[in-house]
Amino acid sequence: MVVYRRGSRGRSVLVLLALTAVTLITLDERGSGGGVAGTARRAAHEVVSPVETAAHDVFSPVGDWISGVTDSGSVKADNRKLRQQLAAQRGREAAARAVIRENEQLKKLVDIPFIQDSDAVAARVIAGAPGNFERTIQIDRGSSRGLAVGMPVVAGAGLVGRITEVARSSATVELIDDPTAGVGVRLEKSGQPGVAQGRSGKTQLSLKFVAPDVPVAKGELVFTSGLQNSSYPPNIPVAKVTRATRPRDGLEQTITLQPLVDLDQIEFVKVLHWPKASVG
Amino acid sequence: MIRRARLFMLLLSCVLVQTAVFPYLRIAGAVPDVGLVATIAIAYNVGADDGAVYGFAAGLAIDLFRETPLGLSALAFAATGYAVGVLRGGMLRSSRWVAPLLGGVGGLFGGLVFVTVGALAGREHLLTVHNLQVVAIAAAYDLVISPLIFPLARWATNEKLASGAFRAH
Repeated sequence: MVVYRRGSRGRSVLVLLALTAVTLITLDERGSGGGVAGTARRAAHEVVSPVETAAHDVFSPVGDWISGVTDSGSVKADNRKLRQQLAAQRGREAAARAVIRENEQLKKLVDIPFIQDSDAVAARVIAGAPGNFERTIQIDRGSSRGLAVGMPVVAGAGLVGRITEVARSSATVELIDDPTAGVGVRLEKSGQPGVAQGRSGKTQLSLKFVAPDVPVAKGELVFTSGLQNSSYPPNIPVAKVTRATRPRDGLEQTITLQPLVDLDQIEFVKVLHWPKASVG
Repeated sequence: MIRRARLFMLLLSCVLVQTAVFPYLRIAGAVPDVGLVATIAIAYNVGADDGAVYGFAAGLAIDLFRETPLGLSALAFAATGYAVGVLRGGMLRSSRWVAPLLGGVGGLFGGLVFVTVGALAGREHLLTVHNLQVVAIAAAYDLVISPLIFPLARWATNEKLASGAFRAH
């Protein structure tokens, strides 16, 4: 049997550690990621990123296998549904190409920043979030390739998130479904602005601050608004409306969005050297 | 000196495994807290004070990779290490199942401290029903990995227990 005699020294150690931790929390919250904490974070990511890159190749198939086991029930149904959607999409794509080409030429004429005009850096996703309460990914490009905090990150289908931490050869991307993230968006049909916010534990987003009298249709797309001081350039597809409920009290609609990018299955992304982010 | 080097190696290993390996091994959306389980194991082996100090260091190291405020995991891990050390000190007997059970219970305690203090520090989104479910799943995961971590912690603290970590002593 082991007997420990707890005295005032033991409590003093705990109190000292607790006070130090509370001080660090306060400093970090006020410093918004800069200062000593930011430097320490960048250095730590620098040390770990080679291991993350190596581990990605080894453990990614294991992770896929685990996902396959836990999600196998819905995979067949999803596959059937996706094939039908793909066939319909091919028809729409052919018609849309001509319009997109014309639209791009017009936008270049009036010098409007457009996503495909931005310099972009392709990056590979090398790790997910290390903890249970944040929605982030690690990518294998960092400040050595010109990446900076605040830059928007996209994938083929639309917006992924923005960079929150940059080391020399890696960066952390906060996904748009992180509960602390908010994206300024506009609705496809009405053009009305709103804010798409992550929801704790959900892959879907909430669309906030849309007036109760604005018509919102299921399936409607939302794009980044690009309004003044926005963190994102305009017209990047973000999500589609899956549910819209008009309020009885007339205050605010309850609108649920599904991100266009499957944020749990991203392999490659593009980081945009968007003008405003580069300045900041 | 050797003991400190071993403890540092254990800490570094925990951080690497947590950041590079477990993101791919999520079960029901949750990953275990390897550093927290190591803290529990250290506190179980050497007591509350060293457990709290190790927990603070391990938590601070993992905080560098999280979006939550720096110091939040350090506080949660230190409190858990201290609590487990005190609990262990009050135990008259131990048995084979105590170590993994402590891993699970300590993981639950540490997770609850994390989300509660995080909410008090202004991250209200941490204290939700969903996150409490995640804490419970992560604690079960902690319980599962405890039998792997406890022997490593025993090696790091150089405790020469006559009958092993999971036997009565």
